[in-house]
Amino acid sequence: MREETIYEHLQREGVSRREFIKYCGMVAGAMGLWATPVLSESARLFGNPDLIGEVIRALETKPRLPIIWLEFQDCAGCTEALTRSQSPTFVDLVLNKISIDYHETLFAAAGFQAEEARQRAMQAYAGRYVLVVEGSIPTGARGVYCTVGGRSAVNILKEAAAGATAIIATGNCAAFGGIPKAKPDPTEAKGVWEIVTDKPVVNIPGCPAIPEVTAGTIARFLVFGTLPELDDLNRPKTFYGTTIHDQCLRRHFYDAGKFAGTFDDEGARNGWCLYKLGCKGPTTYNACPAIKWDGGLSFPIQSGHPCLGCSQPDFWDGGGFYQAQSVPLDRPTLEAVGIAAGVGALVGAGVAVANRSQKKRANEPEAETTGRD
Amino acid sequence: MDWNSFLRFVRGPLFEVSLLVFVAGLAYRLLRVVTLGWARNRAPAAGSRVVGVGRSYAKGVIAWPFIPWVKDTFRGNAVTYLAGGLFHLGLFVVILLGTAHMLAWKSLLGFGWPTLSPSIVDFLAAGAIVAMIALLINRFSHPVVRKLTGPAELLNWLVVFLAMVTGYMMTHHLFFRYEVLFGLHMVAVDVLLIWIPFSAIPHFVFYFFSRTIHGVEHGRRAVTP
Amino acid sequence: MNTREAIHTFVEKTDGWVAAQLEACTRCGICAEACPFYQATGKPEFAPVWKVELLRRTYQQKFTLAGRLRTGLGLQRKVEDEDLVEWSKIVYEACTVCNRCAMACPMGIQLGPLLDEVRAGLAAAGVVPEDIMVAVRKQINQGSPLGVTDQVFEERLEWVADEWDVSIPIDKEGAETLVVFSSIEIMKFPQSIADIVRILDAAGENWTLSRKGREGINWGIYEGNAEHTKLFVKRVLDAAEELGVRRIMITECGNAYDALRWTAPNLVRVPAGLEITHIVGMLGEYVRSGRIKLKAGAADGDGVITFHDACKIQRRGGLIEEPRQILNVIAPNSFREMSPNKEAAICCGGGGGVAAIKTADPYRYAVFGLKLAQIRAAQADTVVMACANCRLQFLDGLAHFNSNVKVRSLSEMVVGALG
Repeated sequence: MREETIYEHLQREGVSRREFIKYCGMVAGAMGLWATPVLSESARLFGNPDLIGEVIRALETKPRLPIIWLEFQDCAGCTEALTRSQSPTFVDLVLNKISIDYHETLFAAAGFQAEEARQRAMQAYAGRYVLVVEGSIPTGARGVYCTVGGRSAVNILKEAAAGATAIIATGNCAAFGGIPKAKPDPTEAKGVWEIVTDKPVVNIPGCPAIPEVTAGTIARFLVFGTLPELDDLNRPKTFYGTTIHDQCLRRHFYDAGKFAGTFDDEGARNGWCLYKLGCKGPTTYNACPAIKWDGGLSFPIQSGHPCLGCSQPDFWDGGGFYQAQSVPLDRPTLEAVGIAAGVGALVGAGVAVANRSQKKRANEPEAETTGRD
Repeated sequence: MDWNSFLRFVRGPLFEVSLLVFVAGLAYRLLRVVTLGWARNRAPAAGSRVVGVGRSYAKGVIAWPFIPWVKDTFRGNAVTYLAGGLFHLGLFVVILLGTAHMLAWKSLLGFGWPTLSPSIVDFLAAGAIVAMIALLINRFSHPVVRKLTGPAELLNWLVVFLAMVTGYMMTHHLFFRYEVLFGLHMVAVDVLLIWIPFSAIPHFVFYFFSRTIHGVEHGRRAVTP
Repeated sequence: MNTREAIHTFVEKTDGWVAAQLEACTRCGICAEACPFYQATGKPEFAPVWKVELLRRTYQQKFTLAGRLRTGLGLQRKVEDEDLVEWSKIVYEACTVCNRCAMACPMGIQLGPLLDEVRAGLAAAGVVPEDIMVAVRKQINQGSPLGVTDQVFEERLEWVADEWDVSIPIDKEGAETLVVFSSIEIMKFPQSIADIVRILDAAGENWTLSRKGREGINWGIYEGNAEHTKLFVKRVLDAAEELGVRRIMITECGNAYDALRWTAPNLVRVPAGLEITHIVGMLGEYVRSGRIKLKAGAADGDGVITFHDACKIQRRGGLIEEPRQILNVIAPNSFREMSPNKEAAICCGGGGGVAAIKTADPYRYAVFGLKLAQIRAAQADTVVMACANCRLQFLDGLAHFNSNVKVRSLSEMVVGALG
């Protein structure tokens, strides 16, 4: 039996053709225009004059995309960000209309019934479902720190990954280990791609991940059937191709050397650069300044808070949110410096004493001459 | 190892080790000299040694090289004076009065200070880099300096130059991604810190010995240094 | 040649004072331009920093761990015989230890005294120019490098006393001041002796000469040999102690002032309360206190007069203002300074033992060429100086360059203006 296409499903839901075209426009827009795209990606997207047409054709011919959504060691913030998005929005379109998802947190069912639903979906859609993972996977103590239904997160993940056609790790925890991985990392938290090594994993880091970025990546996979171009941290270059710094609205203040010194000083109130207050913008790749949060309302720097670098690995151990980036991450204690100076001084004095005894020996008369002149 | 891990390493553990080597090495160099000791000069002083020392430092810091008796030595050493001066000026301004560096000092010392605008600092940084290139050429073209140039001098130049040029590239986001440039700059700085105690660069410490000796010797003889 | 002795001496001489300055050197080469020998010849090996290279190399190889390792592994050459020969030439023939280099060094390194340590090593190894050793041996055996023996001393002074009608006491008991001439004045400028005697008498000084302490010059310093230096200063100091004088007055000699005022106290015990002075300093005092009166303008009307600062009396001795005070009184309309001058003055090229070494003549005359250029720039007809060795060099140099410039001693000028 042929599966119902997305368009057919939407028709059944009462969506008109006009609305459908509008939705396709939203999807096309989400894939390329909301962030500053990396040139190669945009060339492919923009070089295609019929992008919307492609989207329409895809949604007209393809069935809804099955999504299995797993949550492990996390705060559910990424899901919260998604569900808090107002509808009708792109996120709502993607997750509620053009895909079917099995989301543990959002399921009305619970317990073994939810487990069974997931197992059935994995079997029914084997090889076709997109696996979205949220939360880090603890590997310490043989994975006992996170278990669902008596099974460790590691095993659940491996089983789910085996039948997935694409794997997306949303949020810093799933991508790089996130908060649980912060020192001293008691649970030995790992990102998805450290556990699943035989398939590509797309990382959508952020704390939380920007909802439109997660949804946009899913939509892109739906339309093109392939994974986007990824950087060396497996993040889609479309959204993670440039730094916050290079897109920042306060950049001209940085260039002019106007920095806020404290959170409520004149500089802060004038909207000056937050470098001195610990902004990690220069080394952080994400789409925050372009897409922003809460439907384009604002993002941390715009609201006066330095960027935390939440889409980078180990941002919790990046020296502190309010420590400027030029500050060394590890600094010796005063005791260590004292010991180093002491050791150096001792060795130096020792060498000098040896040199002084050399001088005494130099004063003693020669036992023999060279025999010349 | 990816660039982010590399950056973490060179800003973190490697920096800590470099700084400790730097401190230990300088203490070593200092004590190695001071422990040799020296005899008191028993010739009665004809003038004030303290005044001599004061003048010696004034000549070394404030008036150099605009004082008359230096003029004829300027003639054959224009590059050394000008490029050397520009290099030192740029160096001090960048590492003490550049905002990014001041924040690093603050984290080590516990207090900070006002800094200069990035455009001034940047201009002097570029000047310092140009000066270093001029000094390198001078090392090979000046007849006296050429005799004094060996592998050690060239290595000193290279280690300092790399730290400066990677810093400049980082500030201007030149050629590579920011985290790559940051990593390169930090590793260059770490190497510089480790190398300094084993080179002639501690002249910034021994300067205070030679300048004071100069002042004492002239003060003793009642001569303006 | 005993190269090991040289190395041992370098090692022995390297204390914290030396080491700190060797460590401070940044190999910038600026000192070269300040050195008259480099300025006059353009030879890079005459750069002061290069002259002390043996000392630095020994320090690096013997005192530093890296140096010891590299020498041990054979990656560095040790100091060898050829090095001593090469350095003996540049250190004795192309340096008067004028210390102008120290003034130019951005780090303030005392290259002159460091070069003295290099000479000490070379002397210990026995690699000193023979011309210098001839003078040293003469001073050891005859009491003077110019052969002023006891007998010559007496005869010469008798003649001066007679010729210029002055009274010259020798070994007078109860004298306050022991006046020590140099054999250059005794043999070459006897009139200076008479001039100085007249000044001392006019000032009412209670003075005497000494047979034992007749020689101010110290060839041990030129050689770089501490034992000989000690021997020669002791002759003068012992004489002073025996005579019970309160002060020693060195006459117009820079090397003698260097030896007794600054060097002797660090080599031997100087009798307590004994003051070491120089005629230039005393002249200043006599004029200031009114003990001698100078006729204003007495030396005017004979062309432009300039003053040559002697390295060991002015830059290294501090007696800079006194000659100006005197010349401004006696030649207010004629006195013109050279440039550079005072503590930055250019060496005449004849000091440090250089004038004695025949093979150094080309360098010595080349340096004097710089001096002559200075005199011409000041358009001077007469050059006044307070050092007899400079006078010798000037007279020789001016003749070499066929110049008519006149040379006068400061004492000569003062005597001519005594009122």
